Amino acid sequence: MRLLQAVPVLFGVSIITFALMVATPGDPIRLLVGDHASPETVAALRDQYGLDAPIHVQYLKYITNLATGDLGKSLRYRVPVSQLIAQHYPVTLFLVLYTIVLTLPPVFALSVWSAKRQNGPADQIIRLLGVLGLAVPVFWLALLLARFFGVTLGWFPVSGFGATIPAHFLHLFLPALSTMIWVVPILVRTLRSALLDEMNRDYVLTGMAKGLGERQIFRKHILPNSILPTLNLFAVIVAYLLGGSVIVETVYAVPGMGKLMVESILARDYFVVQGATLVFAMTTILVMLAVDVVSALIDPRVTP
Amino acid sequence: MTPLLKVCDLSVRFGQTVAVDGVTFDLARGAALGIVGESGSGKSVTCRALMRLLPPATNISGSVEFEGRDLLNLSEPELNTIRGKRIAMIFQSPASHLDPLMRIGEQVAEALVEHTDLKGRAVWEEVLRLLDVVRIPDPDRCARAYPHQLSGGMKQRAMIAGALACQPDLLLADEPTTALDATVQKSVLDLLAQLRREQNLSMIFVSHDLGAVARVCDDLLVMRRAKLVERGPVTRVIDAPQHEYTKQLIASHPDRLASRQVAAVSQGAPLLEAQGIQIRYGGKSLADVLTGREGGFVAVKHADFVVRPGETLGIVGESGSGKTTLARSLVGLVKPHKGEVLFDGAPADPSGRGRVAYLRDVQLIYQHPYEALSPRLTVQAAIAEPLRRHRLCPAAEVLRRVAELMAQVDLAPDLAKRLPGQLSGGQCQRVAIARALAFNPRVLIADEVTSALDVTLQAQVMDLLLKLQKERGLTMVFISHDLAVIRRLCNSVIVMRAGEIVEAGPTASVFDAPQQAYTRALIDAIPHLHGDAA
Repeated sequence: MRLLQAVPVLFGVSIITFALMVATPGDPIRLLVGDHASPETVAALRDQYGLDAPIHVQYLKYITNLATGDLGKSLRYRVPVSQLIAQHYPVTLFLVLYTIVLTLPPVFALSVWSAKRQNGPADQIIRLLGVLGLAVPVFWLALLLARFFGVTLGWFPVSGFGATIPAHFLHLFLPALSTMIWVVPILVRTLRSALLDEMNRDYVLTGMAKGLGERQIFRKHILPNSILPTLNLFAVIVAYLLGGSVIVETVYAVPGMGKLMVESILARDYFVVQGATLVFAMTTILVMLAVDVVSALIDPRVTP
Repeated sequence: MTPLLKVCDLSVRFGQTVAVDGVTFDLARGAALGIVGESGSGKSVTCRALMRLLPPATNISGSVEFEGRDLLNLSEPELNTIRGKRIAMIFQSPASHLDPLMRIGEQVAEALVEHTDLKGRAVWEEVLRLLDVVRIPDPDRCARAYPHQLSGGMKQRAMIAGALACQPDLLLADEPTTALDATVQKSVLDLLAQLRREQNLSMIFVSHDLGAVARVCDDLLVMRRAKLVERGPVTRVIDAPQHEYTKQLIASHPDRLASRQVAAVSQGAPLLEAQGIQIRYGGKSLADVLTGREGGFVAVKHADFVVRPGETLGIVGESGSGKTTLARSLVGLVKPHKGEVLFDGAPADPSGRGRVAYLRDVQLIYQHPYEALSPRLTVQAAIAEPLRRHRLCPAAEVLRRVAELMAQVDLAPDLAKRLPGQLSGGQCQRVAIARALAFNPRVLIADEVTSALDVTLQAQVMDLLLKLQKERGLTMVFISHDLAVIRRLCNSVIVMRAGEIVEAGPTASVFDAPQQAYTRALIDAIPHLHGDAA
C-alpha cells in the first residue's frame, strides 16, 4: 500500500528535476564543445542528445528511458549516469551508515542519563553541550576537526575514501564525526523529552505496583514507548543526511554523491543531476518506508 | 487475631500541601474496606501511600504495618518482594495503566515471572487460567491481544487478572469502576465481590461512588479534606450517618434525592425535531465504492425524536452508543449524513446558513467544564464573550448582564475575575451554563454535564438546571450514561445502543416497564446504596 503511494511521489520528483534542469540558464552543448565549435557540430550534437525535440517529447523519452533503467549519459565524462552513480552512491551510503552507527550509542546513553536525573548537573551539562553542538555550523566544525586531528595531530586522513574497508573507516571518521555532532543533540532532545513523558505514564505505576524493579520497568516499558516519537525524527534526519552529505563531502573531498551532485550542477551535466536527484528521492522514500515498517513492528496500533 | 494491615497516623505531604492528615485504620484478614470521598479528599493518595507509590519528593509519615512489617521503612528491593506478590493494586483507567505496546498476556505474566519460579509454558498456562478466573471469554485470543484491541471492561478485567497473579493477600482498588459504563461497572463489581468470597481476598476499595462501595465492602471510611471524618460498617454509615459531611454525601446520592413530580409531557407542537438522522465518520474509500459498501464508521444509524416546548428529553446509552454525536449534530458541530433537524416546525440547518441565528436558540453545554472554557479568559470575560460577539445587549450593559447571569447560576460575584484554573469543577460547570444562558436560548442541550463532577456537586448542578428550567421554561435535551440522573430530570427518555434508538417513551414507563432487555440491564446496573453486597 505504501509502495503504491510512492509512485506518484517519484513521478513528481522526475517532473521537478526535469523542469529545473530545463529552466536552468546555460547551454550544456556549448559547455561540452567549447566556444569555437561550428554551428553544424552544435546542431548535430543537439540532435544526438535529443535536446532539440519539444519539451514534452524530451520528458516522455526521459521517462521511458527511466523505466528501462537508462539514466542517460554524462555529458562530461561520456559514461552512463548509472555507472557514475554506482561509483559514488556506495561511498555516501557508507558515510551515512557510519554516521548512524557512531550516533546511536551516544544518543541512547546521553538521553537516558539526562532523563534519569532530570535537572541534575549531568542533565544541565548535556543540554548545554547539545545547544552548542546545534549552534556550530557543520562546515566550520568540519574544517576545524580536519585541521586539528588531520593536520596538527595527523591521526586521521583529511581527504579521500581509501581503498580497503578499514581504510574507509579511517578516512570517513572525521566526516562522520562532524555530522554526528549536530545530529546527536537533536535526537537526544527528542528522546529525553519522550523518556520524561513516558516515565510519568500510568503504566509505570502499574509496573511499580507489580513489584518490578525500576530498571526492569525502564527497559521493558519506558524505553520501547519512548523510541516511537524519536523514530520518525530519525527517518527525517537520515533523509537529510543523504542530502546534507554535500557539505562534508566537499570539505573532506570524499568522492560521494554529494560531491558528484555539486560538480555536475556546476558543469551543467544535466543527466547526472537528474539521475542523482532521482536516486536521492528514491532512497528517501525507501528510508521512510523502512521506518514505517519498523514503527508498525514496535507499535501494534500502527497498521503498515 | 492481629490485623493484616495496621495503618497508624498516616500523613502525606506534597511540599506545603497536606494530602492525607493523620489517618488511622486496621484491616482484618478477609475484610473489605471502602474509602469514599470527593476528588481531592486524599483517598487515592492514602491508597498509594500504603505501597509507597508516590513521587519521591513526597513526605510520608506514620506507620503502615503489614503482617508486622512497616512498609514505610522497608528498602526498595524489600518492598518489591511485597508489591505485586502480597499486595496488589488496580487502578482507575485501565486504558492508561496498561502498556500499549505489550500483549495483555505478557503484562499479566510480568508479576508471575518476577515473583514465582514458573517458567515458559507454565507461565502462559497460568496466565490463561487467571484470565479465565476474571471471566474473560476466549482467554487465548485475549492474551495475545494488545490493550487497544479490547474494550474498557475487558482491560479492567485483565488488569485484575494481573493483580491476582501471585495470589496476593490484599488488593488495593483505586476507583476501579469509575471509568467504566454502568453495565460493565456492575459486572466488575460483581467480579470483585465474588473474588473476595472465593479467594478470601482482603480489599481496600477507593471510590467516590457510595453505591459501588456498598456493593463490595462491609466497612467504610469517609474522607474529606485529607482527614477521616467517619468510619463504621457500610449499612450503619448509610442508614445513620453521624458526620455532617457524610449526611450531605448520602443525601446527594440519586437514591436519596426526593424524586420530583415529573410534569406531564406537554402536547404542544414540537420545538426541536430530528428526522432520520444518520451520522458517519470517515468517508468512502475507493475500495468501499468498488465493493458497494457503506464507508467510514456509522456513529448514528437512524434517529427520530421530538422535543416539545418545556420538555426535558433524556438520552441514555453506554459510551460509543452515539449519544454525544447526536447531540453535536443538533448544534451543527457534526454534519449529519442523512436526515434533518427541524426547529420550531421549520427545517434548520445547524451547520450551514442560518447557523448563527439558530445557535441563539439552541445551546450546548459540554461534558468537561475545564476543557470547554478557555484557560486564559476570566469568568467575566467568558460569559461576556457571547454577549459582545452577538451584540445581545448594549455594550454598556454587558457587565451588569454578566453579573445577573452569574447570580442566576449561583456564582458568587467575587469569582468574576478568576480564571478557570482557580475554580472547582462545579464552579466551572456553572460558568459554562451561564455562558450558554447568555444567549437566552429556548433549548439547552446538556452533554454529560454532571459526569465529571462529585456527587454533591452533581446534585447541586442538577438542582440548578431544574430551577432554571422552572424559571425560564427552558426546553432541555439531557444526555447522560447515568440513569439515576436521567430519571430525576427528564420527562421522556430515549435509550441508544450502537447508534440506534432502541427504546423511547415517557421516563416513568420506560423505567418501570422497560421493553428491551438492554434497557433492563441498564436499569439493573444503577448502583444503589443498599446494594446486593456480599
